[in-house]
Amino acid sequence: MTNKSEVRTALYGQTLLAGLWRENPVFRLLLGMCPTLAVTAAVKPAFTMGCCVIFVLVCSNIIVSLMRNLLKPHLRILMFTLTISTFVTIADLFLKAFQPEMSEVLGPYVPLIIVNCIIICRAEACASKNGLFVSIVDALGMGIGFTLTLCVLAGVRELLSTGKIFEVQFMPDAFVPWAAMSMPVGAFITLGLLLGLVNMVTKKEA
Amino acid sequence: MDTLNILLVGFISIVVVKNLVFTKFLGICPYLGVSGRIDMAFGMGMAVTFVVTLSGTLTWLIDHLILMGTPLEVTRYVCFILVIAGAVQLVEMYLRKFFPSLYESFGIFLPLITTNCAILGLCLFINLWGINSLLEAVVLSFGAGIGFTMAICIMAGIRENLNLADVPKCLKGAPITLITAGILALAFMGFAGMIR
Amino acid sequence: MLKIKYFIQQSWLLIVASFFFGLLIAVTNAALSPRIEQNKINKRNRLVGALLPEAKNFVLETEIEIDSIQGKKEKIEVYKAMSEGGECVGWSFNAAGSGFVDKIELVVAVDKDFEKLAGFDVLSSNETPGFGDQIKYDDYRDQFKGAPAEELKLIPSGDPKKIDAEIVAISGATVSSEAVVEIINNFLTQIKEQMQKKELHGGDEQE
Repeated sequence: MTNKSEVRTALYGQTLLAGLWRENPVFRLLLGMCPTLAVTAAVKPAFTMGCCVIFVLVCSNIIVSLMRNLLKPHLRILMFTLTISTFVTIADLFLKAFQPEMSEVLGPYVPLIIVNCIIICRAEACASKNGLFVSIVDALGMGIGFTLTLCVLAGVRELLSTGKIFEVQFMPDAFVPWAAMSMPVGAFITLGLLLGLVNMVTKKEA
Repeated sequence: MDTLNILLVGFISIVVVKNLVFTKFLGICPYLGVSGRIDMAFGMGMAVTFVVTLSGTLTWLIDHLILMGTPLEVTRYVCFILVIAGAVQLVEMYLRKFFPSLYESFGIFLPLITTNCAILGLCLFINLWGINSLLEAVVLSFGAGIGFTMAICIMAGIRENLNLADVPKCLKGAPITLITAGILALAFMGFAGMIR
Repeated sequence: MLKIKYFIQQSWLLIVASFFFGLLIAVTNAALSPRIEQNKINKRNRLVGALLPEAKNFVLETEIEIDSIQGKKEKIEVYKAMSEGGECVGWSFNAAGSGFVDKIELVVAVDKDFEKLAGFDVLSSNETPGFGDQIKYDDYRDQFKGAPAEELKLIPSGDPKKIDAEIVAISGATVSSEAVVEIINNFLTQIKEQMQKKELHGGDEQE
């Protein structure tokens, strides 16, 4: 009995960690690029977007996992889309009600979570084939990995474009802010360089 | 004449000044994936133009005829994505049956771009910008597609040459494409403020 | 009959799920929409309250149709700012137009006689940080507080502390500064004209 629960815990732990590094959705699987570039101008919107994605991922994985035995094959994608768009609408309403400034900064990128490849890929690859608990753990892993990635990217961009993160000054006074970092140029180049860095690190591991 | 002026200005602004890829970060996934060769890029661009014009028109119609001002407004996102997915599915079936040659040339891209952020993103932006005339919505959607085609063809041209260049190993593939896209975005910034 | 049975057999889950999700959305919307409305009202109160300090609440006075800069017709809501004693202390409305990068949305406040501008605040803008973004800062905005409510002119250099119809542009951000002046001019002149026609300014209403 102990062995079985030990093995299970190890499996859950592995699934959780996979989303963080080995199968990080942005850096390794190259999914969900659009919001990554659009909302990472500052750390707070990036974190808010990450939390929304975690919420939608977990909820949709739960529902898909519960329904997995009832799905007809050719209506699968339609069901996934319907589920995801419902939860995104709910997340958007919550955001408008409780964080109106963030809702305005994020603007149309919140509904674009619906077409975020991460969520529909996890529903297809994991939730429709596995039990409830595994799906939840997978969703959490992927979601947290995505949020961390967004925050890292946003941290770099915000630090270089304003010298502060969350209003706390990190750079010395002599630092001249790189305004380009908060514009599309900065977004593309930072992500490209970070991806290159990750490739370099993982090649060394392999 | 005034309408024509507004349409022309709107078209140019969305192709160049407010280009979907370089200023609004929409359509990055196919942009990175399919921009390897010019002929594939052009095919993708044309498919996107077709789908986005169709979806932009349909979603505008649904928004203005059914959703706006009614309590159903809150289901906007669900309706949009279902309309887009449904329309593309129908078009694909129609093309496969009646225009097989056309289907051959861009059939493989159609399922890929249904859940593409560019399509849904444009429909939402048209809603956000408060576009009130159907003609303007059609022109803007078409312009968005043309802008995407232009962006992806430019990138394909550059990438074909980049294959022969000495790119560091860790930057090959997606990273160098992103950096190139950044430089292109910088170039396109030169158009900002052109249209007011 | 068989066809309908087949159809239902294939898609019953879809139909049930649609109902369930629709219900979920409706419930969430009903629960949250009062709060969302309140947020919008709070925002206006907060921004215009900073410009018209005696205003305690805002009442929708009228809707005016004007020509936007691009030539389109838009309906603008004009709000009357009331003090605690119920007197009109000013007016406010939202104005929008194209800036350097994207759309700029402003909330503009004028005094009760439409003689002087109480100032403006930026609701949303995407201007270049460090350059066009400075339209949000007090250095630029203070030039509008107390400026006459007529056609304002943008000048490349001058004394920003002098409050008159000339606004000094932000160096390095001419287009953004010009955009703000143009937006305010366009909206203010048309709204002022129509309010005067309706004889609603000056705090006295004619029934």
